[in-house]
Amino acid sequence: MDEHVVEMRLVEFIHERRASFPTKVIRQQFGETMLALVAERPNLVALTADLMHPTGMLDFAKAYPERFFNVGIAEQNMTGIAAGLASCGKLPVVCGYAAFTTLRAVEQAKLDCGYNGVKVILVGQSAGLSYGVGGPTHQALEDVAIMRAIPNMIVVTPSDALEVDAALRACIANPAATPIYLRLGRGPEPVFNTAALDFEIGKASTLHMGDDLCIVANGSMAFEALLAADALAQEGIAAQVLNMHTVKPFDKAAILDAAARVRGMITVEEHSLIGGLGSAVLEALEDGHSIPVRRIGVKDIYPPIGPTSELRAALGLSAQNILRVALDLMKRS
Amino acid sequence: MPLAIPRNLDLPLTLKGLREMARINRIDTTNMFMAAGNGHFGSCFSCAEIVTALYFAIMRVDPANPDWPDRDRFIMGKGHAAPTLYSALIRRGFMPEEWIGEYERAVGVKLMTHPSRRYQPGVDASQGALGHGLSVAVGMALAGRMDAKDYHVYALMGDGEINEGSVWEAAASAAKFRLGNLIGIVDRNRLTVDGDAEEVMPMEPLKAKWEAFGWETLEIDGHDIPELLQTLAVPRGAQGARPRMVIAHTVKGKGVSFMENVRSWHADVMDTDQYDRAMAELREG
Repeated sequence: MDEHVVEMRLVEFIHERRASFPTKVIRQQFGETMLALVAERPNLVALTADLMHPTGMLDFAKAYPERFFNVGIAEQNMTGIAAGLASCGKLPVVCGYAAFTTLRAVEQAKLDCGYNGVKVILVGQSAGLSYGVGGPTHQALEDVAIMRAIPNMIVVTPSDALEVDAALRACIANPAATPIYLRLGRGPEPVFNTAALDFEIGKASTLHMGDDLCIVANGSMAFEALLAADALAQEGIAAQVLNMHTVKPFDKAAILDAAARVRGMITVEEHSLIGGLGSAVLEALEDGHSIPVRRIGVKDIYPPIGPTSELRAALGLSAQNILRVALDLMKRS
Repeated sequence: MPLAIPRNLDLPLTLKGLREMARINRIDTTNMFMAAGNGHFGSCFSCAEIVTALYFAIMRVDPANPDWPDRDRFIMGKGHAAPTLYSALIRRGFMPEEWIGEYERAVGVKLMTHPSRRYQPGVDASQGALGHGLSVAVGMALAGRMDAKDYHVYALMGDGEINEGSVWEAAASAAKFRLGNLIGIVDRNRLTVDGDAEEVMPMEPLKAKWEAFGWETLEIDGHDIPELLQTLAVPRGAQGARPRMVIAHTVKGKGVSFMENVRSWHADVMDTDQYDRAMAELREG
């Protein structure tokens, strides 16, 4: 069959499959999980810089006003206060937007939290292009690169609402005295994980088995990778989908295991191609691995403004583009 | 000439004892800088009495248990004055005296230009980048109030440091959260790296600024021990709902005549002749 016809058919398959999944709003899930955890964790406190409503924290703030601190629009102060609270035995969760949590207060994240060796959970919502219409001021496409470069910082990027719940619980339970950057989306995202998902910080999960190629993705792109893998299966191509929900500490073993089995690897991230998941995969492969790697992510640009799903698609962050890259990669390797 | 270092301190020290300890502090600091070859002389000497009064007459700390949850906290926001804090911690018994001679000498030594909680027992927060300390102190004070503890949190800032916008974010929040257990101090020595602090960035009227941000604000002579005791020793449990700011007017380089109010001694190299002259003045007191 003509290659073009095959691709058209698979794209149609992806459209139909995508529509079959329910969605859940990420920030709503965040707020629900926080509220569920606060009763069982007496030292849990939350801070926000005038983003209580948009981060889904209204119910928490109403139920536990003495454990919720709104510091006004002052992210540096918020992060420093969180570090001070943590050094006195509290477990602070900083609730903000990724663009501000990371860039506006990066020195506080590094020094007051990381260097001081205290556990603060820095939540960056609306990450990537999930607030696409906000434009480059509110899109966060370099946050993983920046936070990953801070020693001791754990970087977690869950995919759907179920994994947001599991990841937040794992972050809260993590015993290490180190800060955690929890990178979250914003609006509705397809729910594709199962309720019984097994989430462990630093350990990638396999969403789809396969020995022909490996697609490594995280955040909203894990779902796109899964759709692409399902479509590839229609053509008899077996793609492994690795959900690399923790970018740091990085599950190098999972990458090396895949590299030993498959003919090619694709990384997909809702982030700049500089310094994020794709870079981490290449770092893991730097010792003598010759496996072809294609990276999908945002090029070194200020993206245009647009609704999230259309903007992602326009920049190649879609199952369709993963499919195209995969077919090309399989043809050549 | 060996120093007469008091071994078993009868705390709190008397006024005479505190003045003597401030003198020892400057000598320790000078010896650290001589070990390193250079240092922030001016910034350290301006706050010697402030730090001495806190650690030897005011703060509730336990050298045998540096992380005691009920201790008073001290944040050296102007982190480059760390040697002044190191001397206090050494003389209080938190850290060994041998560390003075090792200051900045080699990879892996414990004492460096800026205080570090990772390596130095008794340091409550790593500092160095300016404008961080007051926020961390707000967090500590908030935690203390949540847990109904009666500890106090002291945050010392430089008068150049308060150019940082984050300081004023913290100032506003301390008033909002009604942190009467938080005491800030501005070391008003009027000189920054580049010169006259008011010329580099005017901050006057400083007292009115802190008052406008909701702080009970007092102005004192930062080298006058009785004034320091009077303003920094807030009775436990009796504090009001407002954080307190003490603007301590000081002399940069205080105690060594050729350093006093000289911009370049913010941080400079010291030769042996200068060392001898400085030590002679400090030994005489």
